[in-house]
Amino acid sequence: MKRYTWIFVIFLSFFGLVIGPQVPAAPAAQPIIVGVPTSLGFLEGKEGLRAVEMAVAEINAKGGVMVGGEKRPFKVESIDIRDAAPGVPVPEALLGIEKLILEKKPTALLVGPFRSEALLAGMDLIAKYKIPLIGSIAMTPASEKKIEENPEKFKYVFRSSLDVTGWVGLLVGTMKTLNQKFGFNKVYLMNQDVLWARGTAKGMEGWFKKSGWQVLGHDEFPTGSTDFSSGLMKTRALGAQILFTCFDMPQSGILVNQWKSMKVPALMTGFISPMAGQGAWKTFHGKIGGLLNAVFELGNIGAVKYPPATRFHNAYKKKYGKYIEAGHGPAPSYESVYLLKDAIEKANSLDADAIVAALEKADRKGVMGRERFSPGHQVIFGVDPAKTATGCFFQWNEKGQRIIVYPPALAEGEIQLPPWMKPAK
Amino acid sequence: MFWGTVVYAVVNSVSLMLVALGFNLTFGISGVANFAYGAFYIGAAFLCWIFLNTLGLPYLLAVIIAVLTTTVAGALMYRTVLVRVRGQSLSEVIATFGIGLAILELFRYLGFIGFEYTLPVFEDKSFMIAGVFIDMQRIFIVIIGSALVIGLWLFTHFTSLGLAFRGIAQDERTALTFGMDSDRIATLSVSFGAGLAAIASTVIIPLGTISVSEGYDVLIRALAVCIVGGLGSTGGVILASFVIGFAERFTDTYISSHWTMIVSLAALLIVLIFKPSGLFGKQKELEERI
Repeated sequence: MKRYTWIFVIFLSFFGLVIGPQVPAAPAAQPIIVGVPTSLGFLEGKEGLRAVEMAVAEINAKGGVMVGGEKRPFKVESIDIRDAAPGVPVPEALLGIEKLILEKKPTALLVGPFRSEALLAGMDLIAKYKIPLIGSIAMTPASEKKIEENPEKFKYVFRSSLDVTGWVGLLVGTMKTLNQKFGFNKVYLMNQDVLWARGTAKGMEGWFKKSGWQVLGHDEFPTGSTDFSSGLMKTRALGAQILFTCFDMPQSGILVNQWKSMKVPALMTGFISPMAGQGAWKTFHGKIGGLLNAVFELGNIGAVKYPPATRFHNAYKKKYGKYIEAGHGPAPSYESVYLLKDAIEKANSLDADAIVAALEKADRKGVMGRERFSPGHQVIFGVDPAKTATGCFFQWNEKGQRIIVYPPALAEGEIQLPPWMKPAK
Repeated sequence: MFWGTVVYAVVNSVSLMLVALGFNLTFGISGVANFAYGAFYIGAAFLCWIFLNTLGLPYLLAVIIAVLTTTVAGALMYRTVLVRVRGQSLSEVIATFGIGLAILELFRYLGFIGFEYTLPVFEDKSFMIAGVFIDMQRIFIVIIGSALVIGLWLFTHFTSLGLAFRGIAQDERTALTFGMDSDRIATLSVSFGAGLAAIASTVIIPLGTISVSEGYDVLIRALAVCIVGGLGSTGGVILASFVIGFAERFTDTYISSHWTMIVSLAALLIVLIFKPSGLFGKQKELEERI
């Protein structure tokens, strides 16, 4: 009997050590595919994808998304649709989105097109395949209008980032502050000739005129422009106090260099993408002091008065070794993953219509503030992160620090005029 | 405002000339339309950035090594690829375009995306000229651009290698009978063209940032200037640069910056309609060919 016991033990040991590990484990939960079709060759797209991957890694580390009684991990599939590159036609970008949908069969799409033109054209494609999209770069409010006009068809399109309407709101608040504090009321507008920037400049021009400001001129520069001297000469000659800017192309850094070298005595205020990140101080050799620039969503910049934004900002740096440089895109891309996770868990299904219904009811306190969708499927932006998602204006000081100056709920300091400028009152 | 516009138009014209000189030199001598030109331009800037920021070399040394490396890369491209398709224009265009695409997209793939890639200006000062402030870097562009044109003229008129360049450009078969090695000269012309792209890049890029997409824009601008001026004609390139350069800045100031990009393309179209060989083009006019 003892002999049989030993044989039994040896057999079990052999089974456990050699055969045991070869017995297939319980099948791993099937991943939920999230597609990221965007312009990966541009900063906003590249950092947007990284932010999505960061959120996915966090969620997967906690087991994944609870759906149908099991926890399933997210898996990211990305494609570079190059819609931000000059000269790339919109249909080519849409082909990239369609390829991702057909080949990878994602449950949802995140980040999405860079250019508003591509987003608008892509809405029909999204409607055709009925896949929820939470965009976080393209900014046109026209998408919201389309959704409100035909909700049944376009209900799959959402946006977690700031749109032009919210951006104009942020600008108006800052301009009012400049007017009240310094008496400035003469403005020259310069913008990139793309849909979102045109929309912003047009909206602001209307507001300036209605509010009694003098609009001294307005120039639109095609994408890829490398000389802004004519606009700057006019700004100087006409005596503008504010130089309003709206650009997202890499070449827009030249505008700031020229503004400095031509000693244009107007406060540059608006959005120039290369100026948004912490690295801009080093990149532009410390020559950007005084510049007022926007960051479209909290989290892309840390905020003393809103710790979740700082936590995300620092966590990104810890993971990737570099701070976020884009002023637009990464934070809402990160939040999109959590919004999607919450919606899937709430719907307890991967069905597109169920996810859409859950997204419409989303109410999350995230890194940008409180995040809820409007009837046009746009995350509502305002000036207090306790109530809405929030962007901000900061000013580069001469020590190379970004000081948030607007909105008041987040302000870390007051707007300071550069030494070569005087208040008008 | 008028004189200010003239000052910036001169700078713009010389920038265009700098950008187009290398492309024109290569085509004028060897007949190779180097569509990898924009990639050499951006490649040189990235190399300079790497030498400066990663290896910590002094700026001047970084610029010199970047220019020399790009010059060698141009020669290598000719000896390894172009020599096999020499004389087949379409194959040359496809080969160089493919190489350019591969170089540019490799930089993108390697993560050279973002705004942190800049080169410092040579000297951080600005001066008042004709009632408008202009920075020292733009003055350097004008000085270096003018020096390059004069240097090229002296090189092609007073050195044996330069005379060989002109000999091959004028009549390759006759030059061969005089013992000139056309493959060697073609290698050098592609190489010098790449080197000129690198010089243009290290002088112009300190005004802005280095971005992959700029490589494609530079190629289009170089092509537009060369076609308007007449492919292969240095005088034509200079004239075309000034025509386009002035037209762009005056359009900016007196019409609308919205139309600036169209100026060079419109010039291209008009010249192609009325003078298909370009302003100073040496190739046969359409009617002559027929």
